[in-house]
Amino acid sequence: MNSPKSTALVLALPWGATLILFWLFPLVYSFVMGFTDYRLLVADYQWVGWSNYRELFLDPDFGAALKNTFVFVIGTIPVTTVVALGLALLVSRGFKGRGIFRAGFFLPSVTSMVVIALIFTNLYQRGGYVAMLAELVGLSPPEYGFLYDQGTALYSIMAMDVWMSVGYYMLIFLAGLKAIPDELYEAAEIAGAGKLRQFGTITLPLLRPVALFIVVINSIKSFQVFVEIFVMTKGKFDTATAVYFIYNEGLATHFRFGYASAAAYVLFIIIAVFSAVQFALLRRREALW
Amino acid sequence: MVGPEGKVRSGVRYLGLTLILLVMVFPLLWMFRVSLMDVGSSIGMGRLLSGSVTFGNYVDLLGAGNLGRALLNSVLVGASVTLGNILFCFMTGYTLARFRHIANRLLFVSVIVVLMIPAHIVIIPFYVLMLKAGLYDTYWALILPFLVNPIGIFLVKQYVESIPPAMEEAARMDGAGELRILLAVVMPLCRPALAVLAIQVFFTNWNSFLFPYILTTSDELRTLPVALALLQGHQAVDWQHLMAGSSIAVIPVLILFIVMQRQIVSGVTAGAIKQ
Repeated sequence: MNSPKSTALVLALPWGATLILFWLFPLVYSFVMGFTDYRLLVADYQWVGWSNYRELFLDPDFGAALKNTFVFVIGTIPVTTVVALGLALLVSRGFKGRGIFRAGFFLPSVTSMVVIALIFTNLYQRGGYVAMLAELVGLSPPEYGFLYDQGTALYSIMAMDVWMSVGYYMLIFLAGLKAIPDELYEAAEIAGAGKLRQFGTITLPLLRPVALFIVVINSIKSFQVFVEIFVMTKGKFDTATAVYFIYNEGLATHFRFGYASAAAYVLFIIIAVFSAVQFALLRRREALW
Repeated sequence: MVGPEGKVRSGVRYLGLTLILLVMVFPLLWMFRVSLMDVGSSIGMGRLLSGSVTFGNYVDLLGAGNLGRALLNSVLVGASVTLGNILFCFMTGYTLARFRHIANRLLFVSVIVVLMIPAHIVIIPFYVLMLKAGLYDTYWALILPFLVNPIGIFLVKQYVESIPPAMEEAARMDGAGELRILLAVVMPLCRPALAVLAIQVFFTNWNSFLFPYILTTSDELRTLPVALALLQGHQAVDWQHLMAGSSIAVIPVLILFIVMQRQIVSGVTAGAIKQ
């Protein structure tokens, strides 16, 4: 560790090794595996070209998993984003005790997903709290509980997910709100703009980069939804998602590494395209406004 | 100078916020309440404030069940991964901040990697890799891949850049070696950033499920979330024990949350502001 250059190299070594071994290598490895019939305990494998991908295309389970993943992403993200913004606006201005509300709203986000999923399995069960609330407002809950019904299972999990993550995105919105200079509001006040108008012309446009960030990280996360499905339904009642499909094909039932890797790559490409489109769309709108 | 109208409005606000707060914390309160109920007693909904209180479920789980071991594993793995991240993210972050010429490329690659690779899609190659390396179902599988992370590196890099290099140069003049400067001069200055990093890494690790689940198979190596999810699979298990187990996983997080709230919040927002 004498010259600065060698010092730098030594210091960067742990990250370099992790990057190559545990990030880049698995990514390349799974791409290659996707073109083989590699499976557990079978030493020799064959190149099968695109046949895994062709099979995926025709596999109704994979189709259902993709559909459920899209329902999950498209259903939760707008709701989460809007509710998170609403919460942020409610607790942004100075009033006594807002710290307690912020902390309380954020608390579910630091709790383990497994724990949350277990609690909600209880709350959603037949005769549980959610069923009671549904009856209170005149709805009839599913006979065997919300998670044992094809029509409600996935939506119930989605509602839980929104509940769990709004506090986290609220904090990010709060940071965004704090970054807006007060002078802008003061100037608008002098110009005679009402609160609603200030919100539309100052707050919303200036929060757009923050909202974009939230939508992108939330979709990358939501496309990979797995733990809550694993704990609450094991993919039954039409709740299996893409990562659940990958797990199930690769590591739970058939141990078809090649096939599961191909499925993972399809998901990878979907996520990449989706992120790219989101960036492009929001950037274009920014230019228009 | 709050008029009567203002008072009403602030009252309505508090009422609304309190209702939302109730919705947000009720599930956790319910978990604690059920965890303290007798196994025989009904967990009917009227029981939130009435009925029995017992710590027997906790004693059962930590005594005879596997959950004591799982708790120990979670603490051990969480501590190792957190310490690793403090050291390695610091080393890399410092390099990126101070040696700019070779640093920027590496930083660029790291950021792309963390933003673009959805971690869950690599579960198959990860599993095969660990199997072939002979690390499957060992503590190494739970620790080694997670010892350093790009967001942590970013956090440190940003912080080191805000420290003037004068102190390091003075130490260098005095003849201190690079390692000494790093550990005795720069690292103590970075304590606020390292605290943010530590709490973030610890929480992520403490709560993580998928990788610990697929990389181990023996009961002796299960971490808390994995042990809890598997406990639920047992037909015989009751809600009282399940919720006691969940509480065991939540209580340390809750304590840290109260003590280190400021660091946790800056950890969440640090990633966002950079965008």
